[in-house]
Amino acid sequence: MDIRLAGVTKVFEPDIVALEDVYLSIDQGEFVYLVGTTGSGKTTLLRLISREYLPTRGQITVGDVNLRKIGRNRLSFYRRDVGVVFQDYKLLPNLTVFENVAFVLEAMGIPSRIVQNRANEVIDQVGLWRRRFLKPPQLSGGEQQRVAIARAMANSPSVFLADEPTGNLDVRTSEEIMRLLLSINAAGTTVLVATHDQYLVDAYRQRLVELHNGRLKRDEKRGRYFFDGEL
Amino acid sequence: MASFKYALRDTARLIFRHWGLSVLTLITAASVLYILGFTALFSLNVRHVVSRIEGGLVVQVYMKKDEKPGVVLEAVKENPTVRSVRAISPEEALDRLRAKLGNQARAVTLIGENPLPWSVEIQVHRVEHITPLVRDLVVFPAVEEVIYSGRLVERLSAISRASSTVSGGILIMAVVISAMVIFNTIRIAIYSRKEEIEVMLLIGATRTYISLPFVFQGMFLGAGGALLAAAGLWGTYSSAVNAVRSALAFLDIIEGGHILYRFFLLLFATGATMGWMCSWLAVNRFTSRAMRPR
Ligand SMILES: Nc1ncnc2c1ncn2[C@@H]1O[C@H](COP(=O)(O)OP(=O)(O)O)[C@@H](O)[C@H]1O
Ligand SMILES: [Mg+2]
Repeated sequence: MDIRLAGVTKVFEPDIVALEDVYLSIDQGEFVYLVGTTGSGKTTLLRLISREYLPTRGQITVGDVNLRKIGRNRLSFYRRDVGVVFQDYKLLPNLTVFENVAFVLEAMGIPSRIVQNRANEVIDQVGLWRRRFLKPPQLSGGEQQRVAIARAMANSPSVFLADEPTGNLDVRTSEEIMRLLLSINAAGTTVLVATHDQYLVDAYRQRLVELHNGRLKRDEKRGRYFFDGEL
Repeated sequence: MASFKYALRDTARLIFRHWGLSVLTLITAASVLYILGFTALFSLNVRHVVSRIEGGLVVQVYMKKDEKPGVVLEAVKENPTVRSVRAISPEEALDRLRAKLGNQARAVTLIGENPLPWSVEIQVHRVEHITPLVRDLVVFPAVEEVIYSGRLVERLSAISRASSTVSGGILIMAVVISAMVIFNTIRIAIYSRKEEIEVMLLIGATRTYISLPFVFQGMFLGAGGALLAAAGLWGTYSSAVNAVRSALAFLDIIEGGHILYRFFLLLFATGATMGWMCSWLAVNRFTSRAMRPR
């Protein structure tokens, strides 16, 4: 699915302008980095796309869905098609890795045999096969991050949003996760990654969108983390 | 169908995770429903007894000597409170008297001429219909006197009315209390899984899927409470029936049979419905709030 933001402004009460007049268009199957310093509005933008927030002004459409007009029941189905890796993972601490992934699929009414197969498949893909019966508190940061990715990709969504998926991870683990995101993208999924990981952005060059104080500052085809002047 | 299975598994988890609270709720619901059932049974029995006595209540209108009952029959013909009317000729009255007197009957015949007047027997539907009817009939000049069991009539209707009012009040209180207790238990269960539900909503679980385990839990508590209450009532009631039968044999109370089965079925349905509605309300309130965009 493609993502279109038209004149999107988000103001938090009373007067924090998190995003201001953002126009952004992402096509089906693109891979986009969303960069910017802390507080520049990256998380806010992702939450607008997952419809946790509504824009104060402007329109957002994803595929043929106008997010301002979506009803509660349709919202559930919309969210199944938008996989999100949350900045704080949001894993359930008293479920095992397997259960954390499986319950998403169960919530969609999928029969348990298919749930089993699919959950095992994605857990294997993120390299946590031998950890599948551990609970999140027993895992390292990178492992938890990968559980969150496995959960978000379990339902094969059309859009994949990741909020700083390599924050606080070492280079090697970050690269593993990056390759995972690229493989998700290679399967045709639109991927939008908020990050301030300079190393990754420069090592795996992709379309780069930079926010600064809530405004769109840069949008380059294969941009570098720091603007070097040559477009 | 798959969701249904997961929901049942989660229901079991919910009940066991808070088993202390579940047991407490079950006991509260059971006690309140027991009181409710007890009052309802009591009131049903009062109604039953009163209606039996009502069935036997007869207003007897005696005509003056040589007057025909035509005016009285005419007067009550259109009256909707009257269940049945029967005119009794002096001959029939005499036959009845003979039958009653048995071997002393000859004394009556000795008088020669039949001394008895025409009379009319009137049965009404409800106790409270008697007094106005009597008031209407005594004004006829052809009527000698009207006989009915006045005091008993007034007592009975007073008892019947009071027991309906009291049991109605208790019914409302019982429903409110158990609804509140179940609602609160479900709310605690929801808050214990607050994060889980929020994550599920973010990930695209429908509200129905999320509600199911809580709704089942509520129904389990309501219906379980009703079952316990029914078992308790069954015990109490059968010993009450035995006691009444030996001490107050003339009181005709409800025993066994499908009235009681239907009553217990109703109690069960009440419990289950209450549990269902309370839990549905509680979850719905929570998910609606959680899904509202900011
Ligand atoms: N729920 C909120 N309520 C109020 N202010 C918020 C909220 N979320 C974000 N903000 C503010 O909006 C701005 C952008 O935040 P955010 O989108 O989280 O930035 P980033 O993810 O790029 O670090 C910040 O100033 C932040 O304080
Ligand atoms: Mg952020």
